[in-house]
Amino acid sequence: MNLRRHLLETATLLLVAVAVALVSNSIASRERKLKLPGDYPNATTVPPTQAVGVSSAPAQAASPESSPATAQQSPPGSPGTSSKVNETAVTAPAKPRGAAAQPVDLPPLRKTPVSSSPAAPPPSGTATAPAGDLLSLFPPHPDRPFVEISGDAAARLHAAGVPFLDARRTSAYEDGHVAGARPVSVWESDVDEKVMALLGEQDGKKPLVLYCSGGDCEDSHLLAQKLWGAGFNNNLVYKDGYPDWVRRGGAVRTGAKP
Amino acid sequence: MTALRRWIGSEWLATRVQIALGLLFIAAALPKLADPPSFAHMIYNYRLLPGGFVNLPALVLPWLELLCGVALVLGIWNRTAAALIGFLLLVFVAAISVNLARGNAIDCGCFDVRDAGKSVAERLHDMRMTVLRDAGMLVLVAQILFATKYHGPPSTEHGV
Repeated sequence: MNLRRHLLETATLLLVAVAVALVSNSIASRERKLKLPGDYPNATTVPPTQAVGVSSAPAQAASPESSPATAQQSPPGSPGTSSKVNETAVTAPAKPRGAAAQPVDLPPLRKTPVSSSPAAPPPSGTATAPAGDLLSLFPPHPDRPFVEISGDAAARLHAAGVPFLDARRTSAYEDGHVAGARPVSVWESDVDEKVMALLGEQDGKKPLVLYCSGGDCEDSHLLAQKLWGAGFNNNLVYKDGYPDWVRRGGAVRTGAKP
Repeated sequence: MTALRRWIGSEWLATRVQIALGLLFIAAALPKLADPPSFAHMIYNYRLLPGGFVNLPALVLPWLELLCGVALVLGIWNRTAAALIGFLLLVFVAAISVNLARGNAIDCGCFDVRDAGKSVAERLHDMRMTVLRDAGMLVLVAQILFATKYHGPPSTEHGV
C-alpha cells in the first residue's frame, strides 16, 4: 500500500519535472535553449551545407601529406605546448546532413588593415615573409581539425585582421572578448546557424582563430572540429585563450558587439 | 527507545531538517534553471554520459531538484521527496567519485554552473569536499526517512 503510494508520488514528481522542463525549454530564449534531439554540445555535428555555396572541399578528403609541420609556424618564445599540433584531436567528424539551416544575422567579420603593426615579432624562420601572406605563415591543414597557436601568434594574427571566434558562452563574451571577435558559442542552440553564416562569407582555407577560456577549456577545440567538418581547414586554436589575451594587454571589448 | 533515538526520530527535528534540505535543493536548482546550457556543459564535463544523452538530464534534473525541495519545505510527500533527493545525492557522489578516481578535475555544478576558473588542485579539493557535503546531506535524508517511518504517514503540514 505504502510502496504503491510512494511509487505513484515518485512517478508524478518525475513526470511533472519532465513536463515543466520541456515546456520551459520550448519557450526559452536562444541562449538558454537546448536542442533535445541530437548531440550535445552539438560541436562535433557538422551543420548542413547544401544551402550555402562552400568554396572549399570537405576537409577530411585531403591527404595528410598536404599539411606542413605547424610547429615551425609558431614564434620563438611561445609556450612549449601552445604551438604544437594536438594529434589526439584528429578525428573524423560526422558527414554533413542534407537539410538547410536558417540564416542568421551575424556581425561582419573584422577587416583590420593588414598593414597594422603586429603586436608580436614574426615567427621564427618567417621573418622575411610579408605581413599579409598569412596563408604561407599559417597554411591550411586539411588533415586535422585545428592547430594550436601561442599568444604571440594570436596577437600577430589579430593585428593582421584574421577573424577571431569566441567559443565561450554569450554571457562570458559580453563580459569581455577579444576586440573584433564574434560570438560562436559552441554550447548554444544557434551554433549551426552561425557556422552556416560563416560559411557564406569566409573562404575555408583562410585562417580563423578560435579561443575560449584557456586552461582545460575545450570549447574552442570543439568548435574547431565542427568548423573542420563544415569545410574550414585552417582553424587555429588559441589554446591559452581569453585570460592570456587579457594578461598580454590585448585589445578587448565588452558588450554584444565585436 | 532511548532518548537519543526518540529525539532523532522526532517530528520537531524532522521538520527543521526537511526545511533545511528543501531550501538547499531549491538553491541548487535555481542557477541550473537559469542557464541550462551551462549545466549541460557541467554534465558533459563529467564524461559519464554520451553527448546525446546530456541535454535531457540537464533540463529535467533542476526541475526535479526544485520540486523535491519545494515538497520538503511545504511538507508535501516528504518521504517520497526525501527518497528522491537521497537517490540524486547517491548519483552525485558516485559521479564525483568516479571523476576523482580518474583524476578528472571538474567543477561540480552543484550550486553554480559558471566556470569558476579554478586550478586543477583546487577543483580536486572541491570535489572531495563535495563528496563529504553530499554524505552529510544523505544523513539528513536518513533522518527524514527515519522520522517519517517512526511517525507513520507524513502530515501535510509541519507539526512544530
